[in-house]
Amino acid sequence: MNFAYKETDLYNLVVIKETKRWFKQGFITEAQQIAVHSAYPSAFYHPNLIIRILLFIATLLALSGVSGILGLLFASTGEDVIKVLCVIYGIASFYFLKKIFIENNKHYKSGVTEALLYHACGFVIGGVALMTDFNMYALLLVCLVVFSFAAIRYLDLITTLAATCSFAGILFYACYDTGGLFRQIIPFVIMISFLIVYVLVKRIKKKLKYKFWINNLMVIESLSLLLVYAAGNYFVVRELSVDMMNLRLEDGQEMPFAFLFYGFTVITPIAFLFFGIRNKDIILLRVSLVAIAFSVFTFKYYYGFGHPEITLTIAGAVLLGISILLFNYLKTVRHGFTRENHLAEKWGSLNLQAFIVSQTLGGNQVVPKIETGEGGKFGGGGSTDSF
Amino acid sequence: MTEEIPRKLLDHGFISEDQYSKIHLISSGKIVSVFYELRSLFYLGVLLFTSGAGILIYKNIGEFGHVISIIVLILLTIACFWYVYKKAPAYSNSSVISPTPYFDYIVLLGALLFISVQGYLQFQFGIFNENLGLSTLVTSAFFFYVAYRFDHAGILSLAITALASFWSISISPQKWYSGNFLSSSNLHNTAIVFSTVVAVVSLGLDKKAIKTHFTFTYLNFCSLIFFIGAIAGLFIGNLWGVYLLLIYSGCVFTFYVARWKKSFLFLIYAFISAYIGTTYLLARTVLSEAIELWFLYSIVSCGGFIYFIVSFKNYFKQKS
Repeated sequence: MNFAYKETDLYNLVVIKETKRWFKQGFITEAQQIAVHSAYPSAFYHPNLIIRILLFIATLLALSGVSGILGLLFASTGEDVIKVLCVIYGIASFYFLKKIFIENNKHYKSGVTEALLYHACGFVIGGVALMTDFNMYALLLVCLVVFSFAAIRYLDLITTLAATCSFAGILFYACYDTGGLFRQIIPFVIMISFLIVYVLVKRIKKKLKYKFWINNLMVIESLSLLLVYAAGNYFVVRELSVDMMNLRLEDGQEMPFAFLFYGFTVITPIAFLFFGIRNKDIILLRVSLVAIAFSVFTFKYYYGFGHPEITLTIAGAVLLGISILLFNYLKTVRHGFTRENHLAEKWGSLNLQAFIVSQTLGGNQVVPKIETGEGGKFGGGGSTDSF
Repeated sequence: MTEEIPRKLLDHGFISEDQYSKIHLISSGKIVSVFYELRSLFYLGVLLFTSGAGILIYKNIGEFGHVISIIVLILLTIACFWYVYKKAPAYSNSSVISPTPYFDYIVLLGALLFISVQGYLQFQFGIFNENLGLSTLVTSAFFFYVAYRFDHAGILSLAITALASFWSISISPQKWYSGNFLSSSNLHNTAIVFSTVVAVVSLGLDKKAIKTHFTFTYLNFCSLIFFIGAIAGLFIGNLWGVYLLLIYSGCVFTFYVARWKKSFLFLIYAFISAYIGTTYLLARTVLSEAIELWFLYSIVSCGGFIYFIVSFKNYFKQKS
């Protein structure tokens, strides 16, 4: 299966984006950038992120109108017809997206295409779910197929994520339903399967043939690593066992093989970090940072959540210390790592950072109208927001 | 794919050998930038440390240990500002490049520790006991000073939120969600007036070429507060016609800002507010009953809007 876009347009767009980044970083001159742009023209309509969000919202609203009218027209046809119509309508939306927006109007990830794509996926999956009476396997399977189709054909990242999650869901439920021993080994099944997925994706990424899916592959790569970690995490395994497998644990009682999962909770992030640094793999590094944070949380959760403020202060001080050390250490390029920003990314804008600062840190305290004994304002209550 | 592009451009003579060797180092992954990772760590560190320290003193007030911790905090605040003053370049009306990569975070840390200390002092010695609002005003003034002196847009947004909260306007998604935004009856009018005044002041500053890169932050907050206030007014009182006009004029303003600043975030605000306003207008007047008309309305209005954006695509291009 190939993508729905024209290859030269796609390729040229990547060239344009790359050279734009080089220009912003001062590697090339403006004249060079312009020369490249005219030599690699791309016919795509691919607006900036904000316009994409705007178009996405507007398209969803318009589509809700379309589905609403169709719903009114066919409301009286009976339940069985509606199910089939949902699937047909979804498939028609896929076709419409390809014909009208991609082929005729050259939209490429314009916000309109995403909205139509998710709308189409939703109706096909919804229709099948109705037909099969929400059978778990059928639902997950159709999710996997439809999302994979959307991801491969339209190079979409969110459906890639959804498809990978559906795959994990299928594995989980297959083991869960088989019962007996299989329920016990779910963590290992997930870990081993996604380790295999990870290795496969790493190989596929190297092949030039799949170069246009590089971002999709990176999404699968990151998610596989996260799942490998989560499946071995003590907190995840314990809470899921209690919730789904009726495991009864008294206070202070350990679940079977607890030591193994404690081991994974500690070793997996460290292994990720080690290999991330050794192989200069930014994805492994990022995942390892998230995993370390979650491992700390896991241990704090079971051993003394009593003094969150002390934990917060110490964790903050440690983080500050580590980052200052690293900043100084990476003043020059060492082992291929640098603190400098080579390639500007979309999210790197200062304005965005400013907004995040204001939404996560203090400064939001409203003066209480009625005076209470509480001070009412101490900086930084916003520790709940994740960054 | 990005690995092969530099080679191709070199072969076609678009870039020089020298440029190629630099770009190749990065695109082949020989050099990896941990710019964002380090900054996220730093930011998270500041966030955790200041929240932890704030709660720590608050909980232990009256105990022996807190005297030591408050002294440590004061010393830390002084250390931060000592560092910042030592390193900072002279004040300038234009944007200033940070002298060290973590300079901005030290400013942030110092400013946040300062509020913790200020909050403590207020609680312990009751400096502003008669008027709690006054202390918010002091915080805000301090933040404005730091933001302008050290050219820090993050502190500027803290200053604006503090100033807004002096007028009892809370700028926080959680508060809007829980409906606390409308806790007091005339708050939406306060919000409208507040945002208009701040916007006018910021435009004046922009005109005088004082920190023009701050204008975005000001106008971003102002448009958000303005539209939330106006939409709230639309739904609450009987004067919905007035608020509708306010929304429309706000939309015209933000539309021009979007064009002028080439920042289309404002366009999103304008679109959503205008849509809510117009839908409300239609609900009150024409389309009260028939659901079919509603569906047609959403198709025509949004379809028209999409058509408008796509046909004037050059108009909505970000500056590169």
